[in-house]
Amino acid sequence: MIENLFEISKDQLLGEVQNMMYDKYRFVTSTCVDTGDEHLDVTYHFDKDLQLKNYRIRVQRGEEVPSISKIYLCALLVENEMKELFGLNVTNIAIDYGGHMLLSDDELVNPMARQITIEKRGAKKDV
Amino acid sequence: MFDMLGNILKNLSSKPATRKYPFEKREPFKGTRGQVDIEIDSCIFCGICSKKCPSNAINVSKADKTWDVDHFKCVVCGVCEDVCPKKSIHMKEAYKSSAYSKRVSKYVQVPKPVEIEKQEGTQQ
Amino acid sequence: MSKTIIPFGPQHPVLPEPLHLKLVMEDEIIVEAIPAIGYVHRGLEKLTETKEFSQNIFIVERICGICSMMHAMAYCQGIETLMNVQIPDRAKFLRVIWGELHRIHSHLLWLGLLADSFGFESLFMQVWRDREKVMDIMEETAGSRVIISVNAIGGTRRDLSKDSLIKISVIIDEIKEDIKHVEKAFLNDYTVKHRLVGVGVLTKEQAYLFGAVGPMARASGINQDLRTTGYAAYGALDFEAVVETDGDSYARTAVRLKEVYQSIKLIKQAIALLPDGEISVPVKGNPTGEVISRVEQPRGEVLYYLKANGTKNLERLRVRTPTFANIPTLLQMLPGSQLADVPVLLLTIDPCISCTER
Repeated sequence: MIENLFEISKDQLLGEVQNMMYDKYRFVTSTCVDTGDEHLDVTYHFDKDLQLKNYRIRVQRGEEVPSISKIYLCALLVENEMKELFGLNVTNIAIDYGGHMLLSDDELVNPMARQITIEKRGAKKDV
Repeated sequence: MFDMLGNILKNLSSKPATRKYPFEKREPFKGTRGQVDIEIDSCIFCGICSKKCPSNAINVSKADKTWDVDHFKCVVCGVCEDVCPKKSIHMKEAYKSSAYSKRVSKYVQVPKPVEIEKQEGTQQ
Repeated sequence: MSKTIIPFGPQHPVLPEPLHLKLVMEDEIIVEAIPAIGYVHRGLEKLTETKEFSQNIFIVERICGICSMMHAMAYCQGIETLMNVQIPDRAKFLRVIWGELHRIHSHLLWLGLLADSFGFESLFMQVWRDREKVMDIMEETAGSRVIISVNAIGGTRRDLSKDSLIKISVIIDEIKEDIKHVEKAFLNDYTVKHRLVGVGVLTKEQAYLFGAVGPMARASGINQDLRTTGYAAYGALDFEAVVETDGDSYARTAVRLKEVYQSIKLIKQAIALLPDGEISVPVKGNPTGEVISRVEQPRGEVLYYLKANGTKNLERLRVRTPTFANIPTLLQMLPGSQLADVPVLLLTIDPCISCTER
């Protein structure tokens, strides 16, 4: 299991992140996992003196999540990536690439979400 | 300003670091992973190499007794050599050369038919 | 004072991999810079969901060609933690030896590219000639030059014989002598210093706030090196993190150059302490649970998040590479600098864009 994992609700997110900044934690990254039952788990990882501290929120697909790029500017790259690949609805990112940071126009929409599977061994990819 | 002078003099007086390839070829090191090769006579067609291959480059057919590998999909990782129970796959040391089309790469090796043992002479 | 927008295109002679920048300029000074990535996105995280967890090592190794062995090491460490497997001590030391050889080759590659970026091509060739010795060692001991595939879940796949160890010691001594000659050209030359000192300053607070990792953070005074936490065999080795305080490009060059010397010392210590024993343990079963594993790559700290649910396929594999964390520092360093300094600044973050986009 991951140590130092705290489950919080979406409304507490900005408050906790602000506390992290006052306590001089460094933002490492955030991870999005599609659990398969219409929920997405988003985990934010912070680090101080090589010890990790993690916060996790659970959102429905399509629910709005506030962006933490006003507090930590370096989060804008990973929030753009989560928005494109998973369809997580993140609002007010500092620089918003509009869904075209990694993917081009004629590619699949939200390729990492569970509805899209790649067939194994020989068959072609289906949407 | 004259920091590189020692280096320059050494370079001017020693032989070049490159070799004149196609006229002088380098000997490959022992243990280099160049290309996949099989001794088809010892293969028992179990299919383990085909299941473990990460890029699906090997196809084994037990009924037809054929074993083929697509050299253009193979990433020369060496897993097939490690898991083969009869140790019939080994890595050649020469790198694979370029080809004009991908059709050329697949080769199917059919093993020789097994010799029928002759009956012994009359036994007492 | 009118503004012009210049694209610093994906194709550029100084970049090893494609990265696009939109530079908003007034005369010769940059006012704003917006990076755009996405030219090498291969979707590898999705591909790992379809393969078995023992085949994922080969996918993970090929995320990047320069730091490939450390990706496999982080993945194997994560799976070994999930399945409660203790690898033998000899395997830990072997991983350290190959890992530090990888670090030497990556830093020598970077030094050559930096010399090329401010026009000093002959220095670039000198450094790359020395790098060829490291590549020959890797081909002789592990089988290939770039993607060496020596890690396996439960240990390593190949062993090093006594002759190989003696040969490695001799060759890294030669490399040390060669680098001493070029060190003077990098650190003491008047024109090189003119290009590097005072260019792209990042203070300690800014580096911490932007999440800089690796030599970028250590050149600004942050004393953080993940190897001191003691994964693999680093707990038994004696070393200190290389730290400089100026925060400009000259400091970053000095940090990476000194890390080459530090790696040479670490390899020698590891060869002296190498215990006898087997190189891997058999592993049965499937992993369950989730784990985070972190490793110090040549470019910084890489984070692996693995989630498994008891079947042969992993549920989620997430990789956060160090260049992904270093790219936002460009938003701070580029405004205010001259156009001619942009290639040098881009190279000092050590961009590995294929790691960033997977």
